[in-house]
Amino acid sequence: MKKILTIGVRRLYMHYKQYNKCLGHISMLAIVLGTMGSCKKDLLDITSNTQVPEDKMWTTDNYTDLGVNGVYQALRFGYATGGTNNRELYQYDRLSNTLIPRGGDPLLNATANTSSGIFADVWKELYESVHRANDAIYGISNISPSAPEKKARLLAEVKFLRAFYYYRLNQLYKGVPLYDAPTNYNEATKPRNTEKEVWDFIIKDLSDCIGETNLPTKFPAGSKEFGRITKSAAYALRGKVYMYLQDWDKAIADFQAVKDAGHQLFPDYKTLFTAVNEKSDEMIFSIQNIALDNYGSTMQFYFGSRSAFGSNWDSYLVSPDFVDLYENKDGSKFNWDDIIPGYNAMAPAKREIYFIRDNVQQVAQANNKPAKYTDLVDPKRGLDFGLYLQNGNEARLKKAFENRDPRLSANVILPYSTFVGMNGTSDQTFTSRWPHIEQLNNVFDLRTDIESQYFYLPRKFVYEGGKPPIPSRVAGDIDYPVIRYADVLLLWAEALNEKGQTGLAIDKVNEVRARAKVGLLNSSAATTVSDKSDLTSRIRNERRREFFGEGVIYFDELRWKSWKDQVFGGNAGNKQPWGAIVDKYTYLGDQLYTWPIPELERQRNTSLTQNTGW
Amino acid sequence: MAKFYVIGLSAMTLFAVGVANAQQKVNVTGQIKDSQGTPLSGVTIREKGGTLSTSTNGSGTYSLSVSPNATLVISYVGYQNQEIALNGRNVVNVTMDGTSSVIDEVVVVGYGKQKKEKLLGSVSTIDAKQIENRPVTNVSTALSGVAAGVQVKQSTGRPGADGATIRVRGIGTMNNAEALVVIDGIVGTMDAVNPNDIETISVLKDASSASIYGTRAANGVILITTKKGKANQKTQLAYSGILSKTKPMGTPEFVSDYVRHMELMNEGTFNLGKPAKYAESSIEQWQKANADPNGVLAPSGLPNYIAYPNTDWTDWIYNSSWLQSHNISATGGSESTNYMISGRILDNPGIMKNTGAKKYELRTNLSTKIGDRLTIGTNTFASTEDRKKANVDNLYNFLRQSTPGVYPMYDGKFGGAVAAEESVQLNNLMQYLYEPQGMDKVSNFNSTIFANVKIIKGLTFETKFNYLTRFREQTGSSIPVDKYNFATGAIVFPAGVAANLTLSQSYENLRTLTFDNVLRYETTRGKHNIGALLGHNEFQTKWYIFSASKRGVIDPTISNISTANEMNSIDGNEYETSMRSFFGRVNYDFDGKYLVEFNLRRDASSKFGKDKQVGYFPSVGLGWLLSKESFMKGLEPYVQNVKLRGSWGKLGNDRNNGDPNSENYFPALAFYGNVGYSYGGAQVSGLERSKFGNRLLAWEESENKEVGLEFSTFKSKAYIEVNYYNKLTSGILVPEQLPLTTGNTSAPIVNSAAMRNSGIELNLTWKDKIGEVSYNIGGNFAYNKSRVTKLKGQLLRGWNDLNGTNTYSTNIGQVSNAVGTNQRNLEGHLYREFYVRERYKGDGSYYSNDGLVNPNGGPRDGMIRTEADYKWAEDMKTAGYSFSPVNTLGKEQLYYGDFLYADLNGDKIYGNENDLDFTGTSDIPKYIYGFNLGFSYKGFDLQMLWSGEGKLQYYWNDEGYSNNIVRDGNGISKRVADDHYFYDPANPSDFRTNITGSYARLKYNGETINNVANNYYLYDADFIKLRNLQIGYTFNNKLTERLHVRNLRVYFSGENLLMFTKFPGADPEIGAGAKYPTMKQYAFGLNFGF
Repeated sequence: MKKILTIGVRRLYMHYKQYNKCLGHISMLAIVLGTMGSCKKDLLDITSNTQVPEDKMWTTDNYTDLGVNGVYQALRFGYATGGTNNRELYQYDRLSNTLIPRGGDPLLNATANTSSGIFADVWKELYESVHRANDAIYGISNISPSAPEKKARLLAEVKFLRAFYYYRLNQLYKGVPLYDAPTNYNEATKPRNTEKEVWDFIIKDLSDCIGETNLPTKFPAGSKEFGRITKSAAYALRGKVYMYLQDWDKAIADFQAVKDAGHQLFPDYKTLFTAVNEKSDEMIFSIQNIALDNYGSTMQFYFGSRSAFGSNWDSYLVSPDFVDLYENKDGSKFNWDDIIPGYNAMAPAKREIYFIRDNVQQVAQANNKPAKYTDLVDPKRGLDFGLYLQNGNEARLKKAFENRDPRLSANVILPYSTFVGMNGTSDQTFTSRWPHIEQLNNVFDLRTDIESQYFYLPRKFVYEGGKPPIPSRVAGDIDYPVIRYADVLLLWAEALNEKGQTGLAIDKVNEVRARAKVGLLNSSAATTVSDKSDLTSRIRNERRREFFGEGVIYFDELRWKSWKDQVFGGNAGNKQPWGAIVDKYTYLGDQLYTWPIPELERQRNTSLTQNTGW
Repeated sequence: MAKFYVIGLSAMTLFAVGVANAQQKVNVTGQIKDSQGTPLSGVTIREKGGTLSTSTNGSGTYSLSVSPNATLVISYVGYQNQEIALNGRNVVNVTMDGTSSVIDEVVVVGYGKQKKEKLLGSVSTIDAKQIENRPVTNVSTALSGVAAGVQVKQSTGRPGADGATIRVRGIGTMNNAEALVVIDGIVGTMDAVNPNDIETISVLKDASSASIYGTRAANGVILITTKKGKANQKTQLAYSGILSKTKPMGTPEFVSDYVRHMELMNEGTFNLGKPAKYAESSIEQWQKANADPNGVLAPSGLPNYIAYPNTDWTDWIYNSSWLQSHNISATGGSESTNYMISGRILDNPGIMKNTGAKKYELRTNLSTKIGDRLTIGTNTFASTEDRKKANVDNLYNFLRQSTPGVYPMYDGKFGGAVAAEESVQLNNLMQYLYEPQGMDKVSNFNSTIFANVKIIKGLTFETKFNYLTRFREQTGSSIPVDKYNFATGAIVFPAGVAANLTLSQSYENLRTLTFDNVLRYETTRGKHNIGALLGHNEFQTKWYIFSASKRGVIDPTISNISTANEMNSIDGNEYETSMRSFFGRVNYDFDGKYLVEFNLRRDASSKFGKDKQVGYFPSVGLGWLLSKESFMKGLEPYVQNVKLRGSWGKLGNDRNNGDPNSENYFPALAFYGNVGYSYGGAQVSGLERSKFGNRLLAWEESENKEVGLEFSTFKSKAYIEVNYYNKLTSGILVPEQLPLTTGNTSAPIVNSAAMRNSGIELNLTWKDKIGEVSYNIGGNFAYNKSRVTKLKGQLLRGWNDLNGTNTYSTNIGQVSNAVGTNQRNLEGHLYREFYVRERYKGDGSYYSNDGLVNPNGGPRDGMIRTEADYKWAEDMKTAGYSFSPVNTLGKEQLYYGDFLYADLNGDKIYGNENDLDFTGTSDIPKYIYGFNLGFSYKGFDLQMLWSGEGKLQYYWNDEGYSNNIVRDGNGISKRVADDHYFYDPANPSDFRTNITGSYARLKYNGETINNVANNYYLYDADFIKLRNLQIGYTFNNKLTERLHVRNLRVYFSGENLLMFTKFPGADPEIGAGAKYPTMKQYAFGLNFGF
């Protein structure tokens, strides 16, 4: 082409010459033009400079590493910076009776249907994760030039991740289609496998991991590899799967293996959930977070209040039922009547009077907020100010929280407790008070996103201070614990109890209670275990108290079939601390125990059957 | 009216090549006037059969050297050509005949010009007069209503972003359906042309006219030709200026009375059985204050109207302002060189604070002849625009999220929440206008150099090289403000602290190199006229962006990025695309009577797989000038210039949705994209399959068929053109619809869908004079039907026996994809057809004769309004029916004042997903039209341009604007406040009771029942606007000569003065939601020349 053009231009040049000799330099211009834009051979051969073409993938050791990292990155699914989408693992706690979703939830309001977004979004994300793993398994096995030992280790890691993603699918949807090789876009139309087949598939992957000699058993804190999959993680997860299959012996064996690997409880519950201790021996499998946007956590954004760093959103609040579940320090049951006689018998709305701050009228007027006060004394509200103690109301209430399981104050911002938050960039101590009057000018009431209502708020995972070491509210650096040793211990106890080995089971529970510094089982009349079913209930409550905000308990409630009773029993709803309901929960039906196959997916893959009741 | 214009329109002199002639010449001079005696400037005079030409100067005089026995051909756009033999004279004065037929025009077409008479394709031409003297800020917006089948829609009025979308003959593809814009032969963008520089615009609509642009032409081509100087033309300096008062076109209305606002909010909580949001004490506080707005009740000592505000935000955020445009140009030419130099300043402060744009534009069009055969020259354009940085997106996002309980600004301070119940975070919209600072500069540089050689008689070669670059530089910072409670005087919400503020800077560049070569041949052999063209074009486009931001500023007023102390982000992106094309054209006519034209283009695009890069796009056009046939002579008194024409051809498209976007630029390839993770506290990169590829991906094709009939009548005073077209676009590049199980990987782009646009266009013009009043009327009308003809198969839905159970199934998710707002594409349906639930419609009988509940007997308009309605709903439930999305009856659930939906599929569930259905309507107009009127009398002239769209709907359910949700911190629309349902069965005599209200009962902080997709929110959005009204007066040159000024014209020009629509939102042109409004303008203009 270039040649033809050059000839063309030359001919033109000859023509000019014939007619006018002065034209020489002009025709030079034409030649220059021709050359500049001329048909360079690779004009049409362009590829992206921002992405890696498919055919290069897995062909080098570097691409192999990057591909495996991509499978890990799927652990971060649900991460959102603009507002919660309810898909991060810890956010599932809103569906248990520990956290309250501030804006309600279709699963709690009986508005869920097969087209609800959450079912489709979770399905899609988890399958994306599965496909990444399948792609890696194929790429490592068939393309990668990495060393055989490394490939063996990476394969084991990826198999664990695939097992974990299927585990989550099977927990929710029960019996999902199994894909175990790279799938082209027009091939993702398999019918469902049974729940059992999926568990078996998971167990096989995990057993492969456990059998892989190149896979380390456990990483010490400070290891550069920390966060990668280990054998102990595979044992722990396989143990959890056996719990679903009620194969108690196999579960116990796997939990024993975790212990043998050197895992143990970290001595202090509260500081376990900080960046300093996030890599302690208690952590078996955690999602890695660092202080960088898109690499960090969002827990503090959705748990934290307006007074915390980054002006957070209180997307999740704490259920009063959950607060009341925390025992007294000695292990005895907490009872409101012990603090405020007659409290239990009162109508919940009337109990609000005990939560009002001292000198409410004076404070309101001093800060030009009489409306807050007048609203409270409005007869329509029906509060009995005869019960109000002008200078002792706060002290009376605080007694209810003083002598409790220390995990309560570690997990929850209780009324009239303080929180070191942010004022500009400096530290500021705020106090949670009702009603909120002022967060400046020496009053410093803890400010939430919902000032006209009062709630228990999460404290766990929320950064304190005016300048924590994170760049933004959505980039926390605390690792998110997916499986930790306390989880293993309590499951172990559950398995032992199911086998009737009550004593051994109690020992496991007590390990957890001892660390929490709460009265041990069988240490007093109140803590004495009466029988197997009593222990079952104690273990379940222990799990609820221990794993607050860790995305564990909702799945447990589903597994125990206790979800309906726990969440919808009695006066269920989005409650203020005194038990008054803001939004009522409504139970849709037993179909909720199994998530529906998304409607959209059934339209695109007609071989998928729907779960019963949907 | 043509006589008023400073710069006349005549054919480009680009290709005119003079021949030095040694033969004996005489000099002929004269003056050319119009029928009213006004001298005409810019009239072209040439010797018949010769090559020399000239044009008249400002006083209408000319001088030309011709052979003694010459015949002069005098031509001027809008007038009939005249041929006058010299017969020995050397002074020839001419009066031009006022009206001419449209048919004599010369039309700019792809790679050439064509006499309108011989045109085989469908080309709408717009001459400069139709867009001149309008205070439009962008050429695109001026095109509304001026050409049949050309839809112009402005989606925002924000200065700098106010360019309109142009659609030619409907939406031709599910992809980027923008028409191609070609400026002086080079592909460009419409906002990079000064409207004052434009000589003509041609819109190429059918295959035969557009196919020379092949693959890029499927959605129509808009050819813009800029003004050029003429040989031997005395320099003409011209100024035109506009000063225009601007106002917003349509604005939303909210309840501004805070007491009413609080009561409505409390109504929302009451309806759900929740405690009142606002205490009586707060309401009383305002009532007291409102009774005496200037009194002082607040501790701050400020008057009540500030301390206890009732803010109407739309009064505050808009301010009308003055737009200015000044254009100056010089046009002229010597024997060998001609030029046009122009410059314009456009200052549009916008109608909201800190949103204006200032634009500077320069152009040089220059060409010079070197010897007899070579012409070289340049067309060079440069512009730069400074845009202000107000955060308009956030403002409109928060416009509804603003309550009347915040006073906007007082004494330089910004207001915040006052009432105790309000969050201290309450929005103050003025923040979004005042806080953002920084630079946003968009610059264009577009330069072509060309050389044109006459090789032998009839054969010319033209080569062009173009360099086009467009870049955008931005910096961003903000000066945050404190928000005050004006009742207490205290700060309720402090400004963000310096340490948390960020500074950003970015640079974005798009550069295209184009090389274009054309060889043309023209000859006449007896009655055979033959033309041929051979061309080559290639271009390469590269785009990149680089951006960085840092956190922690020294002080908000120090905004250079170097001064911030903490690294925040550095980012970049890029793409590249290229195309190589060869094309040819042959046109032939016999005796100007039988016309035929063939085009063929071969394109190769970098976007497709190696084997699929090349596409061939042929077209053919045929024409027959019936009126030249002898058998038509009898009809001559009735119809003139009858032409029948037809064309067929294929055009292509390689643009994807979302272009420019790096991924879409390589639609055939599969990629892995970057995702990150960390181990042991250290960040690592990762890769995941980001997109599936499709190496078989090929060109999107559109096959166009067209027939047209043109004729004049009433002695050529009326001109009528009718076209029928049928355009089938197939192999549309669309993302495959994947099962969710495929994961997040972007779907491959496939050539799967097809759609058909067919329609009729009608063009009418009428020009005449009554006494001294000349007038013209023009109208255009286009009807377009757009259907998806192929997507993913037929919709199959219904009941089937599945293992003994009657089960309902639908494959809607498989065969159809969701688009827009509650819209879907499906085979056999409109493109973007609405897909919603229908409101339940009962007959109000409630029970059948046997006393059983009658499913068809419910409320007539689908809302539970009366106790009987409610009872019916209860009985329906008892009888086993259910309502979706909420089935439980009760105050917090389904209750009085809630909508019920029809059970389309008969599953006894009223209003679930299976009850959604297609409505037969979409948001794309079925017809568009425009008409213009012009009158002139002596020096006065008046013209008017109307345009409109018909048969379209919008789905409009915007919280705060058009639904029943009242939310913390949100405003309440007046429409909803005035017309919503209220009933409390416990207290039927409640003063708020309104059981005929149209909107559902108010609900506090969100709900689903009344806001699932349903037809209540579908509104007809037909509209007609008076685009422009101009009244002007031109002073007689004799009067102004003493001032050394010619063609002095003063005028008033109004834009968007009137709008007629039933659509309840602000402005149907910009869409359903609230956005920066388009402008209503009252402009005063002044033109004169030296």
